[in-house]
Amino acid sequence: MKAKLLLFIFLFYSVCVTAKQAPNFSLESSGLQGQLSELQGQVVYLDFWASWCKPCRKSFPWMNTMQQRYAAKGLQIITVNLDQDPKLVDQFLSKVSSNLPIVYDPQGNIAKAYQLLGMPSSYLIDRQGNIRQTHQGFFNKKTARYEQEIKLLLNELE
Amino acid sequence: MQLTKKGNISAALAAATCSLLGLQAHAEVADNSWQIDTALLYYGESDRVQLAEAVINANKDFGDEHIFNGKLVIDTLTGASATGAVAQNNVQTFTRPSGNGQYDIVAGDTPLDDTFKDTRVQLDAQWTQPLWENVRGSTGVHLSKEYDYLSLAVNGSLAKDFNQKNTTLSVGLSYAFDSIDPEGGRPVALSKMVLNNDQFASEEAYQQAFDATRLPGSDDKTTADVLIGLTQVINRRLLMQFNYSFSSVDGYQTDPFKMLSNVDQQGITQNLVYESRPDTRTRHNIYWQSKYAMDNAIADVSYRFSTDDWKIDSHTFDSRLRFKLSENTYIQPHFRYYQQSAAEFYRPFLLDGDPLPQYASADYRLGEMTAYTLGFKYGIDMGNGEELAFRLEYYQQDPKNNGFDQPGALQQLDLFPSIKAVIAQVSYRF
Amino acid sequence: MSKLNKTRLSKISAIILLIQLTGCASLGVQPWERDLLAKDAMALDSEGIDLGLDDHIYFSKEATSGGRAFAGGGCGCN
Repeated sequence: MKAKLLLFIFLFYSVCVTAKQAPNFSLESSGLQGQLSELQGQVVYLDFWASWCKPCRKSFPWMNTMQQRYAAKGLQIITVNLDQDPKLVDQFLSKVSSNLPIVYDPQGNIAKAYQLLGMPSSYLIDRQGNIRQTHQGFFNKKTARYEQEIKLLLNELE
Repeated sequence: MQLTKKGNISAALAAATCSLLGLQAHAEVADNSWQIDTALLYYGESDRVQLAEAVINANKDFGDEHIFNGKLVIDTLTGASATGAVAQNNVQTFTRPSGNGQYDIVAGDTPLDDTFKDTRVQLDAQWTQPLWENVRGSTGVHLSKEYDYLSLAVNGSLAKDFNQKNTTLSVGLSYAFDSIDPEGGRPVALSKMVLNNDQFASEEAYQQAFDATRLPGSDDKTTADVLIGLTQVINRRLLMQFNYSFSSVDGYQTDPFKMLSNVDQQGITQNLVYESRPDTRTRHNIYWQSKYAMDNAIADVSYRFSTDDWKIDSHTFDSRLRFKLSENTYIQPHFRYYQQSAAEFYRPFLLDGDPLPQYASADYRLGEMTAYTLGFKYGIDMGNGEELAFRLEYYQQDPKNNGFDQPGALQQLDLFPSIKAVIAQVSYRF
Repeated sequence: MSKLNKTRLSKISAIILLIQLTGCASLGVQPWERDLLAKDAMALDSEGIDLGLDDHIYFSKEATSGGRAFAGGGCGCN
């Protein structure tokens, strides 16, 4: 009984700790309308990348699949590009196919607001606009877990 | 053999360092594809050693930074190597290291032994992977084998990132075991070379005299290395590395093919004595490297200070500057300067009548010297991760007399000749 | 150099290393500012094969070896 209580407290706190409001930013450079906060009601997977970051490349095929699989259930994947030279982004996208929206952040302002620790980094934001999961790096062997996390948030009621 | 002999140990060390280098897994490989680096190197000294070396290096990321590195090196060495004996104004005769036969050196020439011919095979395998958050581990094995020499080594290291990966601290250990079994046996330290001038009653009598200067069987040594490294990103363009390394060698370190001339007051060689080196050596190295990215060039500068209990101190300065010539070509000039002081037991010759020291070597590589390398590399990026590069360099060593008076005839002879070499290399990555 | 000096030398290097480490906290770049450092040619071991071959030559021809090790940094990629 005590153990269960402790577990409950632990889970409660872990939710509280991770439930941080996602810093807002404009989506306009991506072709989407308005602000991130206006996507409330949807689950957002936010991915920070740059053309020179080699592991970043690995996440694109997986993100494309996730977007296709869960768009109807309310998933929106948004990528934030941190290149300083837009020419390099074009070169990258000619090799890696992606239809995901790209928000351009050459000054790193959004990255700063999210206190990025490494590249790539991704944030999973629930329907209320809270950051619920943070991933540093992208590991193929962890994709099942990433997907599980997305599904969990999608199943939460609005 | 001279070159490869020491090379074995160097290879062991290189393996250790390379493996440590592998820790960072910086030049990343795409998942599940092999990156192969190949190179052919020619090293040629005028009138002395010629070395041809081939390298195949394979890297593979088995996913999520679990990286395998394998390396195969084959080299073959021919040519003549300085024995340590001094030049004389007359023809000199030497017994070959095997005891079978003799060779002559003409008047005025630095005595070289041209019996060296050897092929060496080296194999390395290294595995690197993340262990936990921000910590990588790496471990590897090394093997090098040639006719009369075997070197085996293992290494392990850990690297931890701090400060948003702007700082990396690494610690590595390497342990090597080397075994040497030279043809003709190892000379008895400071024993006199037996020369067959028909003074022996029979071939057996000569062989007996020769054998008396030899120790049977093989000998070995162990090398333990500890390395502590710190890598620091300074700013968007500048990266620095600081290393401290400690190395302890225990065992047979004498070069069985080196000797000293025992000369009289007139500078005339009376006899030849096989060299003797201490069987322990402790070394400290401090190394600093810096890389700076400019818009169209990258500068790579390093400095190393080394000191050991043989009293050899050395300074090495190295710089490379890679200029981008076009989108897919670059040219890279290279300059290296090296300076070392002499080992405390180094002496260019022995004086007849003086008591024999416990240790003595006339190997110029343990004497005072400066050396420089000047060269360039030209590289072409062929796309799809393929690169072709050519390297051409000139290397010159200038040995110096660190204060020995040259008696009589030796004053007119060049006891410290410069060594000039060319290095040419072709490398291809795919 | 005496044994005492040796120990002193190693102590000094250890201290320098520690100072470096603590002093480093203020140095560095943000993860998204590593575009130049992430270039292959900026890796400390970018010339690994050449350096290995050179090590072999210089070890054979000179009395000193080692020192270089631990290529690090360069890429903030995970």
